[in-house]
Amino acid sequence: MKRYLGAALTLALLAALTSCTQGDEEVTLRVLASPELADLEPLLDDLKDDTGVELDMDYRATADLSGARGTSYDLAWPASDRSYLLRLEERGERAARPESTPIMRSPVVVGLTPETAGTLRASSPDGRLSWADIADAAADGTVRFGMADPRRSDTGRAALVGVATAAAGTGSALREQDVSCDRLRGFRSGQTLTAASSRDLIAAYTGHQGEADALIAHESELLSLNASDKLREPLVIVHPEDGMVLSDFPLLLLDPDERTAYRKVVDWLLGGDVQRRLMQHTWRRPVDPDITPAAPLRAPVGNALSFPDRLSIVERLVADYGDPASPTSDQVVFLLDFSGSMRGERIAELRDAFADLSGADATSTGKFAGFYRGEHLTVVRFGGRVLQERTVTVRGDGDLRTLARTVAADSFADSTAVWSALDHGYRIAADAVREAPERPVSIVLMTDGESNAGLSYEEFLRRREKLGADVREVPTFPVHFGEADAAALEKAARATGGRMVDADKSSLSDAFKEIRGCH
Amino acid sequence: MSEADRPHVSQEPRLRTRDRNRPRARLPIHVLVALPLALAGLISLLVTGNALRPFDRITTIEARMASKSDYFKDPEVRRLLLQHGLRVDIHRLGSRGIATQSLKGMDAVFPSGQPAAKQILDRQDHSVRSVRPFVTPLVLGTFRAYAETLEKMRVATAQPTPGGGKTLYYNLDMHKFIGLLDGKTGVDQDMGDQDGDETEERADTWNAIGFDRRGGRSNSGRVLVRTSSVCESNSAGTYLSILAFVKNEDSTPGAGQTDKTKAMKEAREVAGKIKPLIDLQGMWADEQADSYLSALGESIAPISLIYEHQYLAHQIEYRQKHGSQDTDRVLLYPSPYALTEPQLISLSDKGDRLVDVIENDPRLRQRAIELGFRVRFSGEDGTSDQLNAYLGEHGIQVPTPNRDETKVYEPDLDVLQEIINSVGSCPPPVLDAP
Repeated sequence: MKRYLGAALTLALLAALTSCTQGDEEVTLRVLASPELADLEPLLDDLKDDTGVELDMDYRATADLSGARGTSYDLAWPASDRSYLLRLEERGERAARPESTPIMRSPVVVGLTPETAGTLRASSPDGRLSWADIADAAADGTVRFGMADPRRSDTGRAALVGVATAAAGTGSALREQDVSCDRLRGFRSGQTLTAASSRDLIAAYTGHQGEADALIAHESELLSLNASDKLREPLVIVHPEDGMVLSDFPLLLLDPDERTAYRKVVDWLLGGDVQRRLMQHTWRRPVDPDITPAAPLRAPVGNALSFPDRLSIVERLVADYGDPASPTSDQVVFLLDFSGSMRGERIAELRDAFADLSGADATSTGKFAGFYRGEHLTVVRFGGRVLQERTVTVRGDGDLRTLARTVAADSFADSTAVWSALDHGYRIAADAVREAPERPVSIVLMTDGESNAGLSYEEFLRRREKLGADVREVPTFPVHFGEADAAALEKAARATGGRMVDADKSSLSDAFKEIRGCH
Repeated sequence: MSEADRPHVSQEPRLRTRDRNRPRARLPIHVLVALPLALAGLISLLVTGNALRPFDRITTIEARMASKSDYFKDPEVRRLLLQHGLRVDIHRLGSRGIATQSLKGMDAVFPSGQPAAKQILDRQDHSVRSVRPFVTPLVLGTFRAYAETLEKMRVATAQPTPGGGKTLYYNLDMHKFIGLLDGKTGVDQDMGDQDGDETEERADTWNAIGFDRRGGRSNSGRVLVRTSSVCESNSAGTYLSILAFVKNEDSTPGAGQTDKTKAMKEAREVAGKIKPLIDLQGMWADEQADSYLSALGESIAPISLIYEHQYLAHQIEYRQKHGSQDTDRVLLYPSPYALTEPQLISLSDKGDRLVDVIENDPRLRQRAIELGFRVRFSGEDGTSDQLNAYLGEHGIQVPTPNRDETKVYEPDLDVLQEIINSVGSCPPPVLDAP
């Protein structure tokens, strides 16, 4: 009896002492969580044992935690809260944002099949790969990739912002002017796999490994996938040289009344032991600097890219990217002035510009701007009248060579009928729109002199007015070169919803590059 | 040492005589197992001071603060406060956020700098108690390779290390540094191809100023400073004061201008000049020091805007853990420089008690030094001596910024507000209904 009493007393003493530090009763918190955090499940029981807080996780793919406010959620645990914070800011609710604590980190990276990795590395001078190389390879069909839907998944959105930031190539965050043209068309043409969340994406990939040879996702997800036995061969993980978006998996306190429980959870998650277990279990990188990274995490992550500071920039990007499940290809009509004044250096520059767009431009912005597989390209050479018209759908290098031959033609005309040529361009556009209404069409008009033959500008406008509304929406991007009439070209650009670019300020190649992706 | 505390000799004779088979009243095994735990718990409670006044009522103070929560989160500070019967429940918010939000339900606020403190004091309809326990300069946290790149560009100068070795501190020439942030190449003017790799730079990226000449390293990102929200944080607001001062030809915008309209116009003009330097970073990020000091700090941002105390507290802790200084993380001291002065403001009787304790308990001030703050003892001077002595004793290089440097004085509150609001396009404040 005495012994039981002794035991009971000791237990009572223990209970009394520990209750002071353990806190009050048990709490259950409802959490809106990113689907990829389902890998935390095994740790949650220990969290409950140690802190008395149970997390009731609702795994839902959202790009910006829409639906998180005014609902029954106490906490949110996305891969990133950036889009959410920008949305709050837009509504003027920034100062009332919830408390947020980064728990662990993972960069958005590319996983390549060993064969594709080998091919890409062989064509890179120093063996290092950038987002521009991936975009370039996607455009020419070397890489077929899978990425979560940026409209629905925060992982997909982080990936898209990363690629777009690299495409803009400014070294700083995306600005409005950087997203005014969709520079990701070539990149997007290589996407063959998508899903609402990156978790679904990985599941889709394991089921159809032949459909893609690259996955864009968090490093942690790719390492976990490699560690599973679901792949024929593990993916080679590439940290692109031009930077990455780093997700920090913040835990957000949506219901301020649950602050005490939130603190307990955060303190537990940030403790050294738990940080180590998170790393070993999920391959996310700990925020705690004292933890030695596991072997696969010793590769440097590279430099984090800045995130844009306005919601409109992100929204524009996502809208332009469209539905990754039904990619569209563009048609571009190039109207090229082949009057006598183009002879010599100018025509050489034009040929270089086409060569650059066909893959000769090794700069990162050049790689994003190049012609891509599936794109429909029409080249019209004109003088006083149309000299030649050639349309190709890019399927391979042969088609690009056909274009190169067309611009290499060495026959020039005596006069320049700029507006007749543009009128001709709109007829091609009308046919294209009739044939494939979903396909965006644009016209590039390059001339180096004033119009001295054919239709007047007014006559061109009258004819254009008679076209259907969807054809009238086709924009014209005049490229001003040499002695062209800048004011007239500017007028045409404005009338059609396009923009004039001055090649004299840079080069014909830069001018074409600048227009690429605008519509 | 008392007899009882002496270590026991390894062999205690009586143990041998004990007959294991003899029935004897003794504690059962589970009690024996539990007892040390119970004792350990008791001892830990005694040590932390929690059990000293077990039946005293502990007063919980609801306090809103930003980066200075580092002080109230410190276990030693909490222990000392508990001895006074006080516990501080921290609500995190940026300093300017505190000043522009409702203060309902708060007993105290602790904005990180004077502009926000003044704003809060202006909102009170009666005089309130407050204390300014310490100051700390605004600094830029960076990493050695980046600091050395700036040093090569003659934008930063290493502070001397007394015993030789790698310095932890650099002085940063803000005039030249702004030349790197402004979107044009070069420190002073268009320098074209700066690093001699035969491509002309359009703006200053880290690689363009020679970062990639350090063997295997590369960063094609622009030279920029990551800050927390311009609209909400004291650090970002103070950083704007420095930029505005430099861009305003080394004078405080609006200073001496008696005509309010003219002063505001001056504010907007200078704001227009410094906005691009801030916009570079894109979206702001809270808790700069946390990310700077975390595992991937260098990948997240080469340069982060932090306070000196956050860095020094890290070095002190690092030294304790690893026995050496963290020589990767180094500080850039901007020149001209700005000091920040946090102010603990009471909003209730409970808050008054906290202000009293912070004002009068020398142990709390001593602890502030150990957390890297420059503590006021008497008058304006002498805030640094004690901190320097503490750093010296603990094997941490003592920062020695130039003595004859220019100090940036914050513009008048209205002028500063105008600058902040136009740089950050900040939403209007949400204040309590009168």
